[in-house]
Amino acid sequence: MGVILDGLVLGLQLALLSVGIVFVYGLGGVLNLAHGQVAVAGGLVAALLVQARQHPAVAGVVGVLAAGFLALGMDRTLLQPAYRRKGEERLLLALILTLGASFALDGFYTFRYPNVALSLRLATPSVEVMGITVRTASLAVGALSLATFGLLLAFLKGTRLGKAIRCIIQNEAGAWLCGVDVDRARSVTLFLSGLLAGVAAVGQGFFSFLGPDMGPEFTILSLIVAVVGGVRSLTGTFLASLLLGVVNAALSYWVGTYLTWIALLAVAVATLLVRPEGLLAYWP
Amino acid sequence: MLDVHDLWAGYGDVAAVRGVSLRVAEGEATAVLGPNGAGKTTLFRALVGLVRPRRGRVRFEGRSLEGLRPHQVVRRGIAYVAAERELFPQLTVLENLELGAYARPDGLRERLAAVFDLFPRLAERKSQRAGTLSGGEQQMLAIARALMGKPKLLLLDEPSTGLAPRLVAELYRRLDLLRRQGVTILLAEQQVGAALSLCSRVYVLKNGTLAFEGDSSDLRGSSHLHSAYLGGA
Amino acid sequence: MNAPWVRTVFPVAAVAVVLAAVPLAVGGSPYQMRLATLMLALASYAVAFNLLFGHTNQLFLCVGALASLGGYASVLLVRELKLPAVVAVGLATVAAAAAGGFLSYVGVRRGFGVLFVGIVTLAVSLMMHNLLLGLRELTNGETGIVTRGLGVGLGDDPRRAYYALWAVLVASLGGYRWLFRSPHGVALHALSEDEVSAELSGIDVTRYKVACATAASGLIGLVGALYADLNGFISPSVYTVGHVDIPVLVALLLGGVRTLLGPVVGAALFSAVDEVVRPFGQLTVLAYGALLVVLFLLFRQGVVPLAEKLAGRWLGPVARGAGLSAPPVSKEGVAGGTEAGR
Repeated sequence: MGVILDGLVLGLQLALLSVGIVFVYGLGGVLNLAHGQVAVAGGLVAALLVQARQHPAVAGVVGVLAAGFLALGMDRTLLQPAYRRKGEERLLLALILTLGASFALDGFYTFRYPNVALSLRLATPSVEVMGITVRTASLAVGALSLATFGLLLAFLKGTRLGKAIRCIIQNEAGAWLCGVDVDRARSVTLFLSGLLAGVAAVGQGFFSFLGPDMGPEFTILSLIVAVVGGVRSLTGTFLASLLLGVVNAALSYWVGTYLTWIALLAVAVATLLVRPEGLLAYWP
Repeated sequence: MLDVHDLWAGYGDVAAVRGVSLRVAEGEATAVLGPNGAGKTTLFRALVGLVRPRRGRVRFEGRSLEGLRPHQVVRRGIAYVAAERELFPQLTVLENLELGAYARPDGLRERLAAVFDLFPRLAERKSQRAGTLSGGEQQMLAIARALMGKPKLLLLDEPSTGLAPRLVAELYRRLDLLRRQGVTILLAEQQVGAALSLCSRVYVLKNGTLAFEGDSSDLRGSSHLHSAYLGGA
Repeated sequence: MNAPWVRTVFPVAAVAVVLAAVPLAVGGSPYQMRLATLMLALASYAVAFNLLFGHTNQLFLCVGALASLGGYASVLLVRELKLPAVVAVGLATVAAAAAGGFLSYVGVRRGFGVLFVGIVTLAVSLMMHNLLLGLRELTNGETGIVTRGLGVGLGDDPRRAYYALWAVLVASLGGYRWLFRSPHGVALHALSEDEVSAELSGIDVTRYKVACATAASGLIGLVGALYADLNGFISPSVYTVGHVDIPVLVALLLGGVRTLLGPVVGAALFSAVDEVVRPFGQLTVLAYGALLVVLFLLFRQGVVPLAEKLAGRWLGPVARGAGLSAPPVSKEGVAGGTEAGR
């Protein structure tokens, strides 16, 4: 059963990545194919700071912020041509642009920092919780992820901007007509998605391993989870992440890596075939 | 209050609005009539900034609206109720209304009370999801939400669409009440009768250009309306 | 009586002649021959992808996977079942065609949108990749299989390899040209503009999409099989998304979607850029990314339509006659819905 717990923790990290992608899609109508690279940026910055003998907590926070600002930077520069267009054109253009950006970033990371990795492996003794053996690392990562989601939820439900963002997802024109600055909200959303991705990467790096080349893997995983969960539904994406996290952990435990990947993808494809809209087609 | 001069607007290669000029005086109710495809909706969307005008000038209270994004136009005091209503279907009536006051959060409670006073049906359905309301109720909600922003000018695009005649009469009674409370109204309609009963000035649009402008009393007798809707040179 | 026939054939024949002359221009350099051959393979993939994505809106991000199916199937059929190489290649082609057709059918019947198809096929690509890695007894996993003696001998003779792929490319271009000059071309044009309207006009959208996908997938499988032969060696990493799908996408977009010459021009340009960038080593990937962004923003329509516009009359009849050079992927939205583009 420790495996299930591990799976849930993995699922939470996956959720951090996927929710960010869905958020951006719902608000901006774009899919950021460089999402994984944004996450890795956060991990790399944290790693560099740790190398420079900074305290892990400081490194972590700065890393997360770095990821957020990278995403914001992309919104303000790279994605502007896409925002000038609408609907499918916007999506397609954004796909190409962010694809290019993902290559550029990936190349930059592996060229400039090929040997930099975040792997602190902080505190990993096992602990007995309700009769289940659990690694403290897992608990810590899980707690970190949950705390982040808690903050996100508080922002969305509590603040004025958060409410505006929720309504933009439902109806962009309606939001304009209520006096909401949709463009600014969009930028904030990208910043948030970067922060979430940063937390996922830093969390991974602190308790396991994060390398500079893991960008594409993150992106693909979060895309698949997002589609399975329903690209317009945050809750659905969250659930799908947990589901796939548990499936991944369980399978890794019993069979090899390759088979796990195949089974995971098969589960994803099967879900899509049965319910093309995703698990929960719509918000909330 | 609103001064539109030689406005041209459209989508892609098609110009739906060609050189339209109109004026709306403060405290008045003005109607823009015309058949489907005449350009009424495009005109309104251009006024609010959802469509960028190609040419022409729009001034509101003396200041130009050129280049403003929709949320900025709303903050200047113009509210737009689109034909599609553009509600937030998953949010409740109350939440929709609260969002209407997004740009002007002060005095929210009073405005909420005033709006419920005007549309008691909405008060009854406060906690109901907007997506589950009937057509008439959605229309009322859309107008109410626009009012929550304390607009000086209210743009209504075909408010009678999909409403039973009894409801249309009720709606127009309320619009008249609003006008007397000081809200300037500019509305577009296909249904002529109700619009003429409320509005003192009328513009008739046909194929993107103005076919008639004047007082509604003048229009009743003329053949302009007939030809605008049913064609003919 | 001669004229229309000639006009149909002319562009393809012209390209065929130009490409046939390349080995002569290149001399005997095996390196350059290999480059040229790879360019032909890329161009063929791009023709297939043009049919899939450009004309029928099926974003099949599994070109590499289909090619790997073709490659591995042909090699394994010879090795395990001792079938003659030609038969094996033929069967592999059929297998790829069937797989692609199946994916297309499922997608169309379920009403999948472009993005969806893209993600599902991406997942399929990854599954295929992991399958090849996982079935180690059969495929040797990451180490790969040496294909010498398991094919039609393309690996031994660079010239033969070049002309084999030349034949495939010319044939596919000819098929494309014929298709779009026939009544089917009109149907496909309508289909790519608006599927619903096409369906309502009596065009069997399902049949066209699946047929195109099947043909395109077969072509991809064939090239994949031939590549396995001429490369002398295959491994899963040869056919990954990064090595096949991305270059194909870039080449097609660069050259011009929905044009006859787009895939060829795009493949040539891409190969040239690839060579130029190669000395940069690790920076290659970064350069690609930057290049992709810049080129796409500047040459949004692709080189061929741009050349059309610039060269006007002289190049016009050639390029214009080259199938329907419609504006690429973007559908210029006429009447707005709301800004959300719902």
